[in-house]
Amino acid sequence: MAGPEADEQFQFTGIKKYFNSYILTGRKNCVLATYGGIALIILYFKLRSKKTPAVKAT
Amino acid sequence: MNQNLFASFNIPAILGIPLVILIIMLPATFITPTNNLINNRFSSLQQWLIQLMLKQMMITHSTKGRTWSLMLMALITFIALNNLLGLTPYAFTPTTQLSMNLGMAIPLWAATVLMGLRFKTKLALAHFLPQGTPVPLIPMLIIIETISLFIQPVALAVRLTANITAGHLLMHLLGDTTLTLMSIYLSSSTITIIIIILLITLELGVALIQAYVFTLLVSLYLHDNS
Repeated sequence: MAGPEADEQFQFTGIKKYFNSYILTGRKNCVLATYGGIALIILYFKLRSKKTPAVKAT
Repeated sequence: MNQNLFASFNIPAILGIPLVILIIMLPATFITPTNNLINNRFSSLQQWLIQLMLKQMMITHSTKGRTWSLMLMALITFIALNNLLGLTPYAFTPTTQLSMNLGMAIPLWAATVLMGLRFKTKLALAHFLPQGTPVPLIPMLIIIETISLFIQPVALAVRLTANITAGHLLMHLLGDTTLTLMSIYLSSSTITIIIIILLITLELGVALIQAYVFTLLVSLYLHDNS
């Protein structure tokens, strides 16, 4: 498996420099971004369920 | 003949006191520590076997990984001796208990993961995304890799439990079949006896191989994280 020594062969620009699936830093950032996204989705649904008032019986 | 096929997997007890601690400690009495430079044949054989396993398993590890040598050698010796203990007639096999195997697998796996996160955080996190993954597949693959990470200790424990339990069950079933056939049809029972002998040989191999596989996988998880 290619490690940090093989990262020099890849030259990216823009956002791909930080988020890609080739170099260690890029892979790490993709993983952290995915976990952060999942945490935000869970947080959003938790807060939404607190704000939604209970349905009154008619 | 056992009315209940799983009766042999019950933990033996005397007057309600479980004997499992004594049974688990028994294999340790076979390994004799020694302070001599040149030992007797038995101790020399044990040392030679442990050195053989040590060289084969730890050669690919870094200096940090090799600090686990004692742990891994103790693990493989413990599991192998416990597995072999169960092959003696009417003996209880501790490694058929999922609780014991989980008790070995989870702490070892967790230690390797925590070690990786503590000392090589970037590499440990990057492991969740295989190199060269197409962009649309990235989130899904990270989730899949995370799930497969948490399944690792469960798979370790269940693999050992299932292999040892299945072998013992087969031996019980074939033994009961042989006893039944002996009074009905003697020639068929000779075939089943031959099958039992072959199965016992297979179980000897499985006992040693499963100990090796368990330790090798822990060593692989360590190698990924050290």
